[in-house]
Amino acid sequence: MNTSDLLIARFHGAATMDSTILFKHNRPGRAVTFDEYLANGGFKALRKALAGMSPNDVQQAVIDSGLRGRGGAGFPTGRKWSFVPRNLPGPRYLICNSDEMEPGTYKDRVLLEHNPHLLVEGMALTSFALGVERAFIFIRRGYEQAALNLRNAIAEAHKAGFLGNAICGSGFCLELDVHLSAGRYICGEETALMNALEGIRANPRAKPPFPAVKGLWGQPTVVNNVETLANIPAIIANGPTWFKALAATPEGSGTKLFCVSGHVRDPICLELPIGTPLGEIIDTHCGGMRPGSSFKACIPGGASTPYFTKEHWAVAMDFDPVAKAGSRLGTGGVVVFDQTTCMVAATLNLVRFFARESCGWCTPCREGLPFVRHTLERIEAGRGEASDIDILKEHVHKLNYAFCALAPGAMGPVEGLLRLFEDEVREHITGGKCPLGKH
Amino acid sequence: MPKLIIDDIPVEVPDGTTVLEAAQSVDIPIPHFCWHPALGKAGACRVCAVKLLDGPVKGVQMSCMLPAMDGMVVSTTDDEAVAMRKSVIEWLMINHPHDCPVCDEGGECQLQDFTIAGGHGIRRYDGRKRTYRNQYLGEFIEHEMNRCIQCYRCTRFYQEYAGGTDFGAMGRAAIVYFGRQDDGPLESPFSGNLVDICPTGVFTDKTARFRARYWDYDMAPSVCPHCSLGCNTVPMARYRELLKTTARRNDSVNGWFICDKGRFSNAGVNAPERPRQALVGGKPVSLAEALDALATLLGEFLELHGPESLAIVGSPRMDLAGNIMAARLREMLGAGTLCLFNETDRAELTGKAVSLLTTENSSSQEDMRNADLIALEGCDLLDEAPMMALAVRQAWRSGARVYMVGTQNEIQSAMAPPFTKGGPGGILQQDQTANPPQSPLGPRGSFVKGGHNREATALPFAFEQVASLADVPLAEAKRPVIICGASRTGLESIGEILSDSTASFDKGGLQPALKLAFILDGPNAFGCAELARRHHGVALSTALADGRIKGIISFEADLSHDLPQGITVLGAADWRPTGLMTRAGVVLPTTTWVEQEGIFVNNEGRAQRFKKVMNPGLPIKGLTPELHPPRVHGIDAPGGDVAPSARLIAMLMQRLGETMAVEPLSGPWETLKDLDATGAGVMIHKGEQE
Repeated sequence: MNTSDLLIARFHGAATMDSTILFKHNRPGRAVTFDEYLANGGFKALRKALAGMSPNDVQQAVIDSGLRGRGGAGFPTGRKWSFVPRNLPGPRYLICNSDEMEPGTYKDRVLLEHNPHLLVEGMALTSFALGVERAFIFIRRGYEQAALNLRNAIAEAHKAGFLGNAICGSGFCLELDVHLSAGRYICGEETALMNALEGIRANPRAKPPFPAVKGLWGQPTVVNNVETLANIPAIIANGPTWFKALAATPEGSGTKLFCVSGHVRDPICLELPIGTPLGEIIDTHCGGMRPGSSFKACIPGGASTPYFTKEHWAVAMDFDPVAKAGSRLGTGGVVVFDQTTCMVAATLNLVRFFARESCGWCTPCREGLPFVRHTLERIEAGRGEASDIDILKEHVHKLNYAFCALAPGAMGPVEGLLRLFEDEVREHITGGKCPLGKH
Repeated sequence: MPKLIIDDIPVEVPDGTTVLEAAQSVDIPIPHFCWHPALGKAGACRVCAVKLLDGPVKGVQMSCMLPAMDGMVVSTTDDEAVAMRKSVIEWLMINHPHDCPVCDEGGECQLQDFTIAGGHGIRRYDGRKRTYRNQYLGEFIEHEMNRCIQCYRCTRFYQEYAGGTDFGAMGRAAIVYFGRQDDGPLESPFSGNLVDICPTGVFTDKTARFRARYWDYDMAPSVCPHCSLGCNTVPMARYRELLKTTARRNDSVNGWFICDKGRFSNAGVNAPERPRQALVGGKPVSLAEALDALATLLGEFLELHGPESLAIVGSPRMDLAGNIMAARLREMLGAGTLCLFNETDRAELTGKAVSLLTTENSSSQEDMRNADLIALEGCDLLDEAPMMALAVRQAWRSGARVYMVGTQNEIQSAMAPPFTKGGPGGILQQDQTANPPQSPLGPRGSFVKGGHNREATALPFAFEQVASLADVPLAEAKRPVIICGASRTGLESIGEILSDSTASFDKGGLQPALKLAFILDGPNAFGCAELARRHHGVALSTALADGRIKGIISFEADLSHDLPQGITVLGAADWRPTGLMTRAGVVLPTTTWVEQEGIFVNNEGRAQRFKKVMNPGLPIKGLTPELHPPRVHGIDAPGGDVAPSARLIAMLMQRLGETMAVEPLSGPWETLKDLDATGAGVMIHKGEQE
């Protein structure tokens, strides 16, 4: 997909200009300039916080807003912050996780290529709330434009007094660094990310201790996703109640970036109220399926989430409803498959990615994923046996006991395949070939 | 003290104990690969899965990662846990070669044991196995990466524990590789421990490959004789050949590891040129005949010159009993001189160092690992006591401050490599000339040929340089340790600190916690110093200085080649070929430390027993067809008519008229009679036997 296509951010239906936060400042085809951002209310939240709020007020506002982590796990952001011990000596760190490598996910890239200033302001506010004086943006290697935007944005914020010493005349100081990742999926795991940032092998660390207590260089550290941090300015500027009300459902909170790809007419990244139904995203905002395509299934939230089918059309795309329906909202990376898609082949494609991207630390992930890949290859090539389904089921269960979340995540689509498409798998085995003629 | 139940057995363990260790404490074995007591938890292999049936944590958990908690109910036999462990073995076996019959690790392989124990037999994965290219890692360690199960023990030891930088994990996913950037000898002076800690056959001892299976070895608990630290070992021999040496755990001393010098210096024991034949006037005789001849020679000498002209020479590399017997021999002969050290300085400084040590202030390697401040004064750790460098590193890793006393030049020489290993194609050589004559073992099994990389063998910890010991903030530390070579300046400054501290302690100054460690010369230097103090021994060079001494009998002593020509060497007993042998009227071959039982007293004053590992005699490998298979059957093996120095002296004393049976470990040494070779050892500081 061409990047410039993604940069045309469009706002449909329920999501009007008034209720968008993250794409509010966007300009078609280019990044919003610092002056434009400033003129449009940028850094208002930071000024407001530094002028009249305590760090605890900022944290409380985020807790009250109900904001949940947008990196995939959906952990309440304010609660994550509250785990940082207040009275430990020494520095503490904030890391923005921009290592967006989940297949089907490109929201952070679109966000940063449109508006890096929002992240700078969000990180400044978060650092203020946490007492952080040094923060890092760990960004995926391939996101060169986004990294360039961020570096420029940081320089401009510095010049304007929103970073550096005595920010806005207060006692608050902050330095922001952009670190370009050497590039591996595992670097998106927060503890592996910290190892990578420290310059050592990007294997995940054992928890506990959790990063909030002992993180980067052994100091308390908070790791948040780009989109999560970009939401903070709006929460501070407009208040938690306003933020909560942006959601499509009373239970939800705020907006969500959905990046849709696959067999839809208009693959696009768009900001919608969180909780917008899946069907509405595809039909209303992506122009429905491609001509000649009919909806077979989709990945609702990035490669590690179990499939949704037509029966999930009305599921509200928010953390809890999606979980209740047997999958995860994840990153909001929706990949849509039409009737020509072989689900075994699609799953194999995803498992190949995860098997390659295992860091190699623990046995279930390092050796189990290639076993699953091999088994799916056999099935897809028409050489599968009935016992292969048992092997897959076993792995879906046992890979939960891997060291980190990579392997259980990799089993998401396999679990979905066995639960929703077992007949299709069996057809491969009994027919001795892929029924969709893919092989 | 959490209380939990494991397989219906109630267990109470200290805080911080893992479930795996708690289970081990009641003899419930849980399979493990990545977990190692010295390296801690990694959570990588996932084979230690257990199921928690009740309590604060539930479900299948990795027992190595999980701290024992009150109220836990653990099952190691639960179906789900067993199934998980079985799966881990299946996963590991996907790529592990089925080469056990030709693998040197076979029989002592943790992977082999757990694979068989788990009952894995049927292969469900029908794909290809992954293969790697092996690397040349030098002349000591063989690399066979296909066998790797990625437990990460090697890199955790090499980089984290030992501070090596030229070896580590590379690659990712199912193609993780453990090796060096390029082929080449491993640079760490502790690299041999990879052989011990690898749970399968990736790293094997190249010097002993394909020579024996584990059950073939003659093995016994032993103590390393190659420096004064007394690290615990298990030498492994077969067919009268010392094949390899492995580390033996002693938490007070070396922990789990040993240095490469201790591991790979086995060749001297098997050397064909080693004295194995008693000689009188250069003619081969039996040991008994040689002793008869020595008794006669001695009698004539005493008659001619009188007892005061005779020096009995022992050595810091001879075991305690041998040196005790040397002292007894002198007592029996009435006069003469007892010399347990060669050089005046060495005798004086060792004696002074030992006199400063007490059971309370003597620092073990364990004390060093737990120290919060360490000062190094006048010592070259990697050369003189490599395992101390490893101990200091552990303290440094836990945050201890390390100070190096001395000028820039002194410090640079202290950072010189311990020994250089052969480059590609280099071989292990015994370099006689490169060793100073006062070296406890003479040739130290130096590894010559090929250049060395100073940086690669730098001390494995960072330190701050200070001009003198007085600049080290000892008083700020809770557990300070001073490590000192037995040098004059070092001993003087420590003497000052000790007298100051007694004074300032009364004023609430320096804590009594200060511990000292001296690096001595020889595995039994402490024992010799203690004997010299009790028996008024003097250094040989001191004894020779006044011209009274006309003759000597030496036991395992490395005497300087320029011993005055006027001195008659009546007898020389040794297992190492020394320059003195050619001058000796009677040559008595002795056993090595692996061919006898004995005691070494290490640098801290810890007496440790080593057991007999193997029978003496020429290794069967290399025997000529006339000697093997044997056609003439004697009592001893060829070259086996040798004896420990202590026994030789006892037999000599009988020939000289001693009627009582002579037991070395009697009188003040009686307490060491029951010394357990597998225990922590016993401290023998002055006064404790008196």
